[in-house]
Amino acid sequence: MIKTKVTIKNKLGMHARPATMLVKAASKYRSDFKIIKGDMEINGKSIMGVMTLAAEQGSELELVADGVDEEHLIKEITTMFENKFDEE
Amino acid sequence: MKTMQLKTLFHEMKDEFSLNLLTKQSTLEKNISNPYINRPGLALAGYFERFSYDRVQILGETEISYLQSLKPEKLYDRIKEVLTYDIPAVFITKGLSVPDQVVFLANEMKIPIITTRITTNKFYYLLGKYLDEIFAPTKTIHGTLVELFGVGILLTGKSGIGKSECALDLVERGRRLIADDAVKIVLRDDVLMGTSTNDYGHFMEVRGVGLIDVERMFGIHAVRVQKRIDVQVELMPWRDNLDYERIGLTDNIVDILGKKIPIIYLPVSPGKNISVVIEVIAMNYILKTYGYEAAKEYTARLQQDLKNKAKMRKLRMDDKE
Repeated sequence: MIKTKVTIKNKLGMHARPATMLVKAASKYRSDFKIIKGDMEINGKSIMGVMTLAAEQGSELELVADGVDEEHLIKEITTMFENKFDEE
Repeated sequence: MKTMQLKTLFHEMKDEFSLNLLTKQSTLEKNISNPYINRPGLALAGYFERFSYDRVQILGETEISYLQSLKPEKLYDRIKEVLTYDIPAVFITKGLSVPDQVVFLANEMKIPIITTRITTNKFYYLLGKYLDEIFAPTKTIHGTLVELFGVGILLTGKSGIGKSECALDLVERGRRLIADDAVKIVLRDDVLMGTSTNDYGHFMEVRGVGLIDVERMFGIHAVRVQKRIDVQVELMPWRDNLDYERIGLTDNIVDILGKKIPIIYLPVSPGKNISVVIEVIAMNYILKTYGYEAAKEYTARLQQDLKNKAKMRKLRMDDKE
């Protein structure tokens, strides 16, 4: 199991487009993937779940991956956060 | 290009249009290859530039009275000139009588002259509609057509994926079946119409059972003869890594006979109740037609929420009091 913390850097926050990007990327892997924000814990492969977080710019999220390809999953997802989901 | 035998038109519509052939029976050996109609007034007056001779010609009261006003020699020459063109057929409306010379010449040139008892305007409309139907682009697609809440849904997908079973489930829920296995599609007035390829009933093959008669089994309310096709739903086996639509902000479009309609790629796996999803697709289509798109509404609310939150966070950080 890997845990890592990320911060949302893009201006618009976790809206529909980045949420779709994230879920599509995560769904490729076999590991379980959870995202934790405060007292909310959601399945990172569920689009409604990710959007329910309503994570705005500057908020902090904890990514938890558990499974055979957990490292690859976390690597791809954290890169997405760093690249601001190709947004401003 | 499609063609139609004039003979077929004559025999099919003889009673409905009250048609009567003035020329010899052999003149009916002609083909119509143009769905449009022409009124050859100018050609009769001697102007042959851009004369649409390949269309069916209609002569009404005006044309006939003009012909009657001509001197016999002039009439002969003019008609002869008109009939040198390869005209598919000449229709005379209102049961008007034609000068004998015209019939004689038409027999010579092997061009049929047919009278109808219907008035010019009405016949123009009826014949146009009939030819439109004959010349309309058609296509037969492997699929099942159902109607629910007034929305026509064309189910497609590989054999054995469960199209018929899905239709059966929908019929049991009070929806209607139009055609199973093969759907004949006609593009008419920019609308895709689907019907069955046969007209002897709504039969369906259910794997492991054999043929069933849907109309007998579920009642007359379970079937329908034709329906406009609004949405195509392609059923496909569930695959883990395939990119399925998650939010629904973008519409996929399919082109059928040049008309574009939305298509939904629906993953199917054992134990999933597809008919409920099909009903949801139909209702969502209605909502979209009325201007309500759930995906847009949701994402707009989410974006507003994110904006507000970011603003509050900034306010808190800037607050030094």
